[in-house]
Amino acid sequence: MEAEGSGLQERNVNTNLDGLETIEQKIIALAQARPNKGISDKDLAIEIPDLRPDQRAQIINKLLKQECFELYNNKQTGVLSYRLRDPTKIVKGADNEEKVVYKIIEEAGNKGIWTRDIRFKSNLMHTQLKKILKSLETKKFIKVVKSVAASKKKVYMLYNLEPDESITGGAWYQDQDFETEFVDVLNQQCYRFLEQKKEKTKNCNIGPVAARNMTFASSKDVWKFISDLGISKVKLSVTNIEMILNTLVYDGKVERILAGDGSNLYRAIEPLVISPGLIRTPCGLCPVRKHCFDDGPVTPIKCQYIREWLD
Amino acid sequence: MKDFQSKLCMLLLEEYFGNIVQCIGNSLLHSRKTLDVIRLHTNLPLIKVKEGLCVLIKYGFVTYQQDEKGSVHYVLHCEKIIMLLRYPRYMLFAKTYCRDEGEIMLEEVLKHGYITASEVIIKTYKRLEETPSKCAEQLSVANLKNTFELLVKNQFLMHSISFNTMKENIEKPEYNLPHLNMTAISNILQGQNADPGDNKLYWKVNFDRFTQDFRDKIMVSAMTQRFDINAGELMRQLINLMYLRTAPWTATSNPIPYTEIKEEVKKLTFLELEQYLDQYLRLIEEDSSQFIKRVGDSGGGQYSVNMKNAFKQLVWATIESIVAERFGSKAARIFRLVRIEKNVNLDQIQQLAMIPAKEAKCLTYILAQENFIQMQEIKKAGTLAAPTKGPFHFYIDLTKIVQMEIEHCCQALYNIIKRRDHELSNNKRMIEKQLRVQILSSNMKEHGATEQQLADIAEMMTPSETQQLEKAQNAIKKLNVTELQIDETLFLLTIYLPYH
Repeated sequence: MEAEGSGLQERNVNTNLDGLETIEQKIIALAQARPNKGISDKDLAIEIPDLRPDQRAQIINKLLKQECFELYNNKQTGVLSYRLRDPTKIVKGADNEEKVVYKIIEEAGNKGIWTRDIRFKSNLMHTQLKKILKSLETKKFIKVVKSVAASKKKVYMLYNLEPDESITGGAWYQDQDFETEFVDVLNQQCYRFLEQKKEKTKNCNIGPVAARNMTFASSKDVWKFISDLGISKVKLSVTNIEMILNTLVYDGKVERILAGDGSNLYRAIEPLVISPGLIRTPCGLCPVRKHCFDDGPVTPIKCQYIREWLD
Repeated sequence: MKDFQSKLCMLLLEEYFGNIVQCIGNSLLHSRKTLDVIRLHTNLPLIKVKEGLCVLIKYGFVTYQQDEKGSVHYVLHCEKIIMLLRYPRYMLFAKTYCRDEGEIMLEEVLKHGYITASEVIIKTYKRLEETPSKCAEQLSVANLKNTFELLVKNQFLMHSISFNTMKENIEKPEYNLPHLNMTAISNILQGQNADPGDNKLYWKVNFDRFTQDFRDKIMVSAMTQRFDINAGELMRQLINLMYLRTAPWTATSNPIPYTEIKEEVKKLTFLELEQYLDQYLRLIEEDSSQFIKRVGDSGGGQYSVNMKNAFKQLVWATIESIVAERFGSKAARIFRLVRIEKNVNLDQIQQLAMIPAKEAKCLTYILAQENFIQMQEIKKAGTLAAPTKGPFHFYIDLTKIVQMEIEHCCQALYNIIKRRDHELSNNKRMIEKQLRVQILSSNMKEHGATEQQLADIAEMMTPSETQQLEKAQNAIKKLNVTELQIDETLFLLTIYLPYH
């Protein structure tokens, strides 16, 4: 969940420094053009003159952190320069099998890959593969991530990758466990908020359409309400709240419409019918209905459910 | 699959008309038959078969057709037999429009299947004579004739012309009133022979009219439930306006101009509705239930009532709450999710419903097992037909569910009626005893019995007996109420089918 929070921050930074991203691409392109020699700080200053030194440092640091670049001492010129990390070179000193396995894991991206699938793809023996994975893991080229979809299923992915939400489960998971109560409480609170909004309009005399329009709340409003409540220790995003609001839509308690600006509006609604007659009877809810006949173990005359209901 | 519907029909026939009629009904259940075949099938004497068929035809449960070879086939209509359950509601309805006299008249027509106007009036007169307290106005033939005319004017009754199925679809309902000879009716009442003047003109109940009215009531109460009483009233007016320009069972009405709606609303005493009429129209129109639709802008706007869609929404809501009650609110969430998102797979269900994977899987499979959602395997083209663990998609087949739930309602009704019969026969001795005691005590009262004597008679019922009787009567009452409630659901579901 912390990872989710920081991910969000990063996204914000990215949008702020949108210009820097294009420059980043430019730098990578430059590095690609000189795969062996690499680029030095000076080269960069010449190629992209309007970049401030602090910004340049920021980008370079980021790229280094992501292990896109590596720092090396250019013996010819004697200055430190950056060059693109060659993925195949990573497994330097490794044998062919390790390279193959590394490649397979790399292809799986941030969704990860299961040992079984690696075995099928690489055609390696089980024990051998185990050894290779262990060695790659200790060299910090790959890492193991537990998936929430199946608690015993471990997937491998490259060390520097951020696991996909389908693996970690996002805000709703804590140590691979889905937090049912947390979701239920949020579901109730969101509904309470929308319901209160509806209650407020009951007594003001402003005409039906205006009253209806007042009952609408945007997902941002709900998000603010939930944040102010302080029931969540985790920082929730607006998208998280929208997921909760959607469950209310599926509960039939809330209606969702699209606002003019493309955002979603929600409001509490009344159902069209209140409990139909059928389900107010024991036969409507009977669990053994399929075995109920004129004679046999279950009959309407012997029925225990009807007897209890009549008493 | 219509197992319980047939069983329910047979039970109703037995309850109302006895064994022989039920036997004949049973033989006609699965196919149309000629008279001879029915006789062979039921092993009844010809005369009994003829009598039984007469009864069934009289109430409109059986109609006949002649094929090219000239032989006559009899056809049973189960849906009409089920209407027997609604007779009390029909009568109540007639009462609200045409007072007690109207109720009794309708009861007479229902009892006889078809009947002449003069006979209805005579029978009603006689019944009212016995219980004068029921009559609001002074009891007179002229007043009763007015009530009968009111019933016809409301189209509760119509001419009964032919039982031939082929003709029934063509024939238009007729409501022309006969010229009744009032003095003749009075003479008959006094025991003389006279000709009331409508010998051959029979009347029967216009069931369609009642069905429409119940249908409309459901729509009005749905709107009241969703918005408020004003919206409900507006819906009623819109439906009334719909009848003026559209046949009652079409899926969508012809456009109704705004000016006309406004005029109708002005006649009412709903001030708030009058003030905010266009807003209320917008409210209903923009709601997701889509009961009405704006179809044009001329003359301040044209609106059309969308019956087809309204019942689709109502049936969805009903099925959804059945699912919620039977399998819990989480299951209902999954059901609605599959409805809204159309084709989804398990992973999507888990993610969107925000239910833990295991529970979501379990609930989805329960719903699939109970046929509320359908499963479909997605096969990649070119793969072998051998069983594979392919991805599954879930979807909902509403018509199938409606049929299933209709069957469910029939079963519930069948069980409730069976149980009620059982309670009745179980406590028969007690009920009869109480009746005897009551008659005895009222007789004694008339003959001027003392308090002491009356108390003695009352003591003939022991306390434990009274207690048990009370319990049984409460149970029977509860079962009766339940029968009506289940029928409401059954009605709503059956209305859906002809529209789709």
